[in-house]
Amino acid sequence: MTVSPWTAAALAAALVSTLAAAPAAQTGPTIKFTETKLANGLRVILSEDHTAPVYSIVVHYNVGSRDERQGRTGFAHLFEHMMFKGSENVGPGEHFMLIFNTGGNMNGTTNKDRTLYFETLPSNQLDLGIFLEADRMRSLAITKENLDNQRNAVQEERRQGLDNQPYGRTDEVIDELAYDNPAYEHSVIGSMADLNAASVEDVAAFFKTYYAPNNAVLAIVGDIDPKVTLEKVRKAFEPIPAQPAPPKVDMTEPKQTAERRLSLDDPLARLARVDIAFKVPPRTSEDDDAVRVLGTILSNGRSSRFFQKVVREQQLAANVTAGRDSAVGPGLFFVTATVAPGKTAAAVEAAVLAEIERVKAGPIEDWEIEKARNNSKRTVVGGLTSSLNRGTQLAEFASIFNDTARINQRIDRIARVTAADVQRVAAAYFTAENRTVVITQPKPATKGGQ
Amino acid sequence: MSARTRLVIIASAAAIVATAAGPAGQAPPQIPPPTQTITMKGKAPVSNAVLKVSLPKPLEADLPNGLHVMVIQDPRAPQVTIQLVIRGAGGYYDPPDQYGLAQFTAANLREGTARRTSTAIAEQLERLAATVTVNAAMSSEEATLNASALREHFDEVLDLAADVLLSPAFPEQELTRYKAQTRAQLQQQRANPTFLAFERFSRAVADGHPDGRMAPAVEALDKTTRDALAAFHKSHYVPDHAAIAITGDITMAAALKAVQARFGAWAKAGAPEPSVSDPVAVADPGVFLVARPASVQTSLVVGVQAIRYTDADFYAMTVLNKIIGGGPTGRLFRHLREEKGYTYGASSQIDARRFRGTWIASTNVRSEVTEAALRDLLDELRQAREIRVPDQEFADAKRSIVSAFALAFESPQAPVTNALTRWRYGLPADYWDKYPERIMAITQDEVQAMAKKYLDPKKLQIIAVGDRAAAEAVLLKLGRLQVFDADGRKIQ
Repeated sequence: MTVSPWTAAALAAALVSTLAAAPAAQTGPTIKFTETKLANGLRVILSEDHTAPVYSIVVHYNVGSRDERQGRTGFAHLFEHMMFKGSENVGPGEHFMLIFNTGGNMNGTTNKDRTLYFETLPSNQLDLGIFLEADRMRSLAITKENLDNQRNAVQEERRQGLDNQPYGRTDEVIDELAYDNPAYEHSVIGSMADLNAASVEDVAAFFKTYYAPNNAVLAIVGDIDPKVTLEKVRKAFEPIPAQPAPPKVDMTEPKQTAERRLSLDDPLARLARVDIAFKVPPRTSEDDDAVRVLGTILSNGRSSRFFQKVVREQQLAANVTAGRDSAVGPGLFFVTATVAPGKTAAAVEAAVLAEIERVKAGPIEDWEIEKARNNSKRTVVGGLTSSLNRGTQLAEFASIFNDTARINQRIDRIARVTAADVQRVAAAYFTAENRTVVITQPKPATKGGQ
Repeated sequence: MSARTRLVIIASAAAIVATAAGPAGQAPPQIPPPTQTITMKGKAPVSNAVLKVSLPKPLEADLPNGLHVMVIQDPRAPQVTIQLVIRGAGGYYDPPDQYGLAQFTAANLREGTARRTSTAIAEQLERLAATVTVNAAMSSEEATLNASALREHFDEVLDLAADVLLSPAFPEQELTRYKAQTRAQLQQQRANPTFLAFERFSRAVADGHPDGRMAPAVEALDKTTRDALAAFHKSHYVPDHAAIAITGDITMAAALKAVQARFGAWAKAGAPEPSVSDPVAVADPGVFLVARPASVQTSLVVGVQAIRYTDADFYAMTVLNKIIGGGPTGRLFRHLREEKGYTYGASSQIDARRFRGTWIASTNVRSEVTEAALRDLLDELRQAREIRVPDQEFADAKRSIVSAFALAFESPQAPVTNALTRWRYGLPADYWDKYPERIMAITQDEVQAMAKKYLDPKKLQIIAVGDRAAAEAVLLKLGRLQVFDADGRKIQ
């Protein structure tokens, strides 16, 4: 089979038809898609784009670490690893081999709210991607051997990502301190003890409850024929039986009434760090767009207020980052500032909080709002050429917002945010009683190695 | 996975340990590859066709001052990205008394020009959600400006990029700020075990060569003056051996016109083509420990000097690397993670440049299994040397490399990256078209020959970063051990 390079003419034609279909109110490019619900409840989203001989398949399961029961922290992510260890018609390790040896790419990722699996493949391998995802949704191979092996891999993932890194404990402890509800209180990676406790029976129960077609969204995007693809999807996925809807997790978070604060020593850190987490509303809240614009103004790039004031002018911090998490439920907006050598954490904290107060008091410059708008436009435009980006976004809008078409409102939503909105959310959520502060101090380890 | 397999590995690993420490030992008897964790049921529908993908090629032109222009029109999204590569302006050409000067110069270009202050540059760019950055790594021959913008802002951003690149003011006050921020970064990176491992490896394999330097010394930073930056800029930022590659929703005509307007007056310096030399060949095996107190893992880097990008061995090495450590299908991942559970990941990489670069295998393992993991890793190298790659594994590896071209097609950057590689090394116009067939022509014997030639235990450098108590005894068995602290000071 031969695929010729895309030509300007062919692509121009494709773009024109896309734009012509866009409702007049929307700004920027429109992503076209179809959405179908199979008899077993699986939602299927297809989006056709022939500009590269490639497609991506994404399965978004509506389960994350929030669904873990007590004593099983880290289980949702450990389970994700099990999904690569085989199913009725796929041997252990075969998934990796089939994807990479056909020139594809793949991975899985777990957060507090969802678990995502994806493959990007040359478009002549459409049957392969559908087969692999359907087979493991239908018939995961659950063995003690697979579990023990992946338990080890996950425990090393924890060590590599947290326990052997400076500030690793900080990243975990701030969630524990900020949240009261156990759903979000613990880390996605989980504790070593809980990972050790996970059993084959846990895996089987979790699979049956959460990995049901009615708890998933499937997106296939790229060089596909939607009609043919939908037929293939029906054939592969529709026989998988639906299950009773998973129990709804109580996500309510009691209102915080006073600042929470903790200091800890870190033998792996070289510089002190200030972490501040403000409670912010869920991503689905109407205030979310304004919170995001606030994040851009405070911390995006070298023109941001944190960089210009706290890093550049006052030289208190070596760097400052900020932004909200991806939580579907009650979220956290994190500010993370590394204290410059010779400066104090207290001075950095005061400077960061002063910048937040300056947002509330105004003024916010027009260019700062324009920056946030152009940022959202660039993010959307930058994702256009990636079938994987499009697939994960479509699945996410379907699953989290139950509104797939919202993918085409990303630019407009940010464009509607005004300076007054930003100041309103800053005043409402970025308060002393709504924040959690963790100060990390480097602690020299004992000489000689232990 | 079976106990029998494990015993065989341990027995044969003892042989490799002796080999690494002393003269080449006798080849142990052949054993099957230890990675038995994969079961191919063969029921999944796989198309055996490999898509023949011809990546888009740039239209090219040269300005009279030497600047080479490459444009790939990609109308899929209303954006443009720009890469401007200046050969001869990277850290490779740092003056011997100030390693890091190229990096400091590149970073300070954005700190002000004759027309704009540092803050004005940041605001103008970020208001448009555009980016302009300039980097020149310590071991790189090149300084590279990367810029990106929405199509509608292309002209404005190119104008700013040209201003930054050609008319920097290097304000004194900004340099002072830069030094303070960089001092903090230099301190902070010493907390990162991967940095420490690669820093020590670079020194071990290319001491005295630019490739042996990963980060500047604080002393070099402290003594940097505005005049030194300006002088380096004046002599090294010349168009004679530079290229600008532009891709996005733009025609060759529009791009060329814009480049001529902004860079046409950039004066040709008459500079000779920047030259490089190889690092001195490594004569002995090396074993190094970087003691990082409170570590719960040992970070391992094992490697050798290997090849130049233009060496005839490049293709066979690419296949060998894919087999040993090229992702989750590589032997290191399958063996150290999927079979043994020592690690979250294990992989290998080739770093080929105009000068002789490196081949590296790396992984992070929990401290308790340092010995077993290192032994198994070294045994993978032995097996590559001594055992012919099985037919299926060999075919899979080559197919994996070649069929991945379809995915590169989707990325706006991949065709540009390929075009720049071709320009940088003076490769023929059909280089990337021929690349898949060159990979497919490689034989198992050639791959094994590469392993014998390059993965030589007598030249292997072994680096471990971690808890000294956990690693020292293990490493002492491998040869003469040198121990450093996390600040780079030799402690034994």
